[in-house]
Amino acid sequence: MSEYIVEMRHITKRFPGIVANDDVSISIRKGEVYALLGENGAGKSTLMSMLFGMYEPDSGEILINGKPVVFHSSNDATAQSIGMVHQHFKLVDTYTVAENIVLGIEPLKKKFGFLPWVDMKKANNEIAELSRKFGLEVNPTDLISDLQVSVRQRVEILKMLYRKAEILIFDEPTAVLTPQEIDFLLDIIDGLRKDGKTIILITHKIMEIKRIADRCAILRRGKLIDVRNVADTSVQEMADLMVGHTVNFNQQKNKANFREEILTVDHLTVKNENNFEVVKDVSFKVHGGEIFAVTGVSGNGQTEIADAITGMLKIASGTVKLEGKDITEASVRERALSGISYIPEDRHGVGMVLDFTLRDNLSLREYFKEPFSRNGILNPDQFQKYSEELIERYDIRSGQGPATIVRSMSGGNQQKAIIGREIEEKSKLIIFVQPTRGLDIGAIENVHKQILQERDNGAAILLISLELDEIMALSDTIGIIYRGELLKITPAGELTSHEVGRYMMGVKDA
Amino acid sequence: MEKVFTDGLSFGIPLLIMAVGAIYSEKSGVTNLAVEGFQGVGAFVGSLIAILLIPVMGNGNQWIIYIALAAAAVGAGIYACLHALLCIKFHADQVISGVVINILAVALTSFFTSAANTAINGTASNKFILGVSNRFTVPGLSKIPWIGGLFTNMYPFEIIIIVLVIFFWYLMNKTRYGMRLRACGENPQAVDAAGGDVKKTRWIAVMISGALSGIGGMCFAYSLLANFSPSIYQGYGYLAIAAMIFGNWNIGSTALVCLIFGFAKSGGYQLCIAMGLPSNYSDLFLMLPYVLTMLLLIFFSKKNHPPKAVGQPWDKGKR
Amino acid sequence: MKKFLAQRLDGRYSAFWASVLAIILTLITASLLLLVMGKDPVVAFQSFLQGCGFLPKANYGGGSGMLSDLFDFLNYLAPLLLASLAFIAGFKTGLFNIGISGQMLFSGFLATVFIGYNKSMSAAIAKPLVILIGLASGCLLGALIGFLKYRFNIHEVVSTIMINYIISYLTGFFINNNYVDMMTRTSRICTAAARLTWTNVKIGGVNCKVPLGIVIAVLIAFVVQFLFDKTSFGFELKAVGLNSRCAKYFGVNVGKSVVLSMAISGALAGLAGVCYYLGYTNTIIPKTLAGMGYDSISVALLGSASPIGAILASVIVSIFQQGANYMSSRVGVAKEIASLITGIMLLYAACGNYMRIVAHSYLQKELDKTSSREGKER
Repeated sequence: MSEYIVEMRHITKRFPGIVANDDVSISIRKGEVYALLGENGAGKSTLMSMLFGMYEPDSGEILINGKPVVFHSSNDATAQSIGMVHQHFKLVDTYTVAENIVLGIEPLKKKFGFLPWVDMKKANNEIAELSRKFGLEVNPTDLISDLQVSVRQRVEILKMLYRKAEILIFDEPTAVLTPQEIDFLLDIIDGLRKDGKTIILITHKIMEIKRIADRCAILRRGKLIDVRNVADTSVQEMADLMVGHTVNFNQQKNKANFREEILTVDHLTVKNENNFEVVKDVSFKVHGGEIFAVTGVSGNGQTEIADAITGMLKIASGTVKLEGKDITEASVRERALSGISYIPEDRHGVGMVLDFTLRDNLSLREYFKEPFSRNGILNPDQFQKYSEELIERYDIRSGQGPATIVRSMSGGNQQKAIIGREIEEKSKLIIFVQPTRGLDIGAIENVHKQILQERDNGAAILLISLELDEIMALSDTIGIIYRGELLKITPAGELTSHEVGRYMMGVKDA
Repeated sequence: MEKVFTDGLSFGIPLLIMAVGAIYSEKSGVTNLAVEGFQGVGAFVGSLIAILLIPVMGNGNQWIIYIALAAAAVGAGIYACLHALLCIKFHADQVISGVVINILAVALTSFFTSAANTAINGTASNKFILGVSNRFTVPGLSKIPWIGGLFTNMYPFEIIIIVLVIFFWYLMNKTRYGMRLRACGENPQAVDAAGGDVKKTRWIAVMISGALSGIGGMCFAYSLLANFSPSIYQGYGYLAIAAMIFGNWNIGSTALVCLIFGFAKSGGYQLCIAMGLPSNYSDLFLMLPYVLTMLLLIFFSKKNHPPKAVGQPWDKGKR
Repeated sequence: MKKFLAQRLDGRYSAFWASVLAIILTLITASLLLLVMGKDPVVAFQSFLQGCGFLPKANYGGGSGMLSDLFDFLNYLAPLLLASLAFIAGFKTGLFNIGISGQMLFSGFLATVFIGYNKSMSAAIAKPLVILIGLASGCLLGALIGFLKYRFNIHEVVSTIMINYIISYLTGFFINNNYVDMMTRTSRICTAAARLTWTNVKIGGVNCKVPLGIVIAVLIAFVVQFLFDKTSFGFELKAVGLNSRCAKYFGVNVGKSVVLSMAISGALAGLAGVCYYLGYTNTIIPKTLAGMGYDSISVALLGSASPIGAILASVIVSIFQQGANYMSSRVGVAKEIASLITGIMLLYAACGNYMRIVAHSYLQKELDKTSSREGKER
């Protein structure tokens, strides 16, 4: 019997154009919480996807309990008692909790003695019992689409336990949770460790590692940098190892200097296609020189507020004013021209046309104005000139400059292009939704710097983010949204992140 | 009135099996606009086999019909692999692929019909003459006032289709394969993570889709047309797709829509006869199912929820 | 060889090379088919060209010659090119107008009935009116389809097919009731004044049918190219086609774009219709949709949705379609093989994207291989 339950030796995995894992070797002991620390794109998820059989390594070997194994699919990994909770949950919205959990290993009975029939009654009972046993409360017959993010995560954990997994992989499990939910999750993980399970935690949040992990492997750009005992390593040390240079935790932030009122939202209500009120009677103001941050658990209506202000969604009732001018009924174009810039949450789906060139994408806000076009005829020279300027000013890197098809660019550079394009409009109001999602630390720092700089230049900033750390670091005013309602608006600094978390879960003021 | 029920059923039921086929493909996540082509190829293969068997087994032998139905299912099922190949393996645009499949089907069957006729009897005719399948009347039930027409002069294939529809309802809703198939159309990543094979599931679904559509086409060849010729391409495949949309991708409600289509068609035709209009006017009534479809689409399209992942190719290696 | 092909398919002119490859593969497939049937492919392809006036036939009937065949070919080419431009105009905006044959029939019918049967109208008035009716009727029908799409979320593939059959039955009913020629069972022919083709024009000693449509069609190809390449309107339409959510985000009125794009597509299809029914055929067969509406999709995809590419592609498809009769009489293969070849070409053209992806990842792998080799040497 080997000392290690999992060994991955000299693993290399390439994707077209990049080496995701370069000769990585790790060994994990039974019953420990083993953390994988690294930035976005460092290769943590790829490494674990191979342990879970989603990809096969190009070279190297995997040993479970000292025996070499080859996984062709997640089935093979499941058979070796490995389970994984993915960062993006792999759940079918239209199925019940139980149907999702049993999917792939559905219990069968014989109806009329011969017809194979999926036995949901049995599944429901088994799952109810399992959820009681591990303290993961769920109702087996609820539809996934009706559930909160944290409950969906419980379903994912139960999925592993139902498959009798002994090695549990968690991929960025806290990214979407409130501080209280994070506490709850870490307790669950601790409980699982006490039950003798082995846990692998993928994360870029060092504080969590400090709290729960026994050992920590640090990955950078596909390479294993070091493996440390968490108890013997300081937070600063881990951060420096992860990034590769000394990290400055504290963003320089000048004192806010509020100017005139720019955005006034009054009793705003937005309905979705099923006539359900996704934003309910929301009112707030944003001043020039102010960062107003809206925070809440994913899917509570925050992106809909941004879409309603920019005209992407129809407003059911209420008004939106920009510098006192009512723009409630204005078109998207009219609003943009009257001074709104918008960095949308979905870079690929909304923020750019991926099959257009960088040149065209950088000109999306300008193409219809002179000198970009005259009488409807485009002027390509102006497009070229403008995009070259922006590429220079915002340090946008791409293969072929303005002629690059945006689809082939890295996420960070795509985001730079969008932010550059929007900031360049010199708008009075700039709306940022999830501006740093998926970016690495250097890029995040850069975006934060830009947001603060625009604030200091006098723009009103509406920042919508799921990253509580980001909200706490940048905002001057915090609005907390729960089920479409703004439960609390407060100057930043008056609430701790735990208090904010309480509001995020719907606790109202007494 | 009886005739309305009889004819409505014999039109609506083949439409239903094609719609069920379309549901299989779409529920698995593959957009299927290729029903028209599938049913045509199915009818072609079945008719060709029938034409070849008639001299051997004797004209009027009813067994030929069942063999032809089976051949139609197999032929269209194989032809559907082309759609699967383009959509699942080649990641082609699934709408384009569907249209390509339809255009190619018309060209293939027209060419090979005349080629086969030339080879068999030396004339380059574009038709296989089949005749109409025998009919039967259910004793007792057919005497029921008003709805007795439903059980009068039935084609045997109507019974076969009803049995098949029930079986395929069971397969989709009560079995492991069905559970994974529906999940593939909603969130293929979930199926993959749970150890299912998304591509295989979709391949099978598209082939089932082809086979069922082929049966539908063969039934039309043996009833409405009494032959196989390019006039098999009457847009019935698209009517089946429309029925699937109104039926909200649900086999039960789609069945209802198909029957409504059937009764609208036969009702219009009987009305034309009852009003004593000259035969030219029948063209106007033949338009009815298409007009009805347009109207239904206008009133009901917005409320529908197609499977979430339909039309999106899936790739395991994609990050 | 493999690498050469991959580089062509991955480079700047990848779309062009994918089409060339599609044509080569089609020719190979068709040759195999002909060989299986015991026919000589070389003779067959030769007679396709002869039928279209690109190569001389062995003998000609009185008053006709190679030039007459060439003009007949242009008579066919004109509506096909217009129809494919109609498809492209919608396709660039992400719309799949497969109802072109219905729109052609609709405009052809209206122009025939209102102008083609008006014996008192002079050519100088009749011809422009025919063109106008073609544009206007197609435009209205296209706009309707676009409206149904954006207002009621009706997929254009389904709505256009339904409308195809409605138009087919409706015009069939009126033709059979009012306008039928009892001998041919098709609609009565139009006046020479209204017809968009001048017949019996003597050129080089032979009788030719000179189509007005071909000039219009080529002109419009350049107009469509200009619209999508050089105007802000075209820029918006392309953005709607590639990513309508982003188009909405940067201020395009997506609904209006969809309606306008379908209106343009319909107008061009209507123009194709009058060129076809009042030029090429000069009569309408009741309850029959022109196969040309579907061939136009092959042309558009083979021309990789570029108007200039469509000019080249429509020539190739026309050679098969127009040359089929002569080929059939000479080689003895059913003329339906023309549609089969077009269909196969469409199939390969639809795989073009995949070929390009395969080529790209092949080159990427080669690149990785060489770079990792270099890495080891270091």
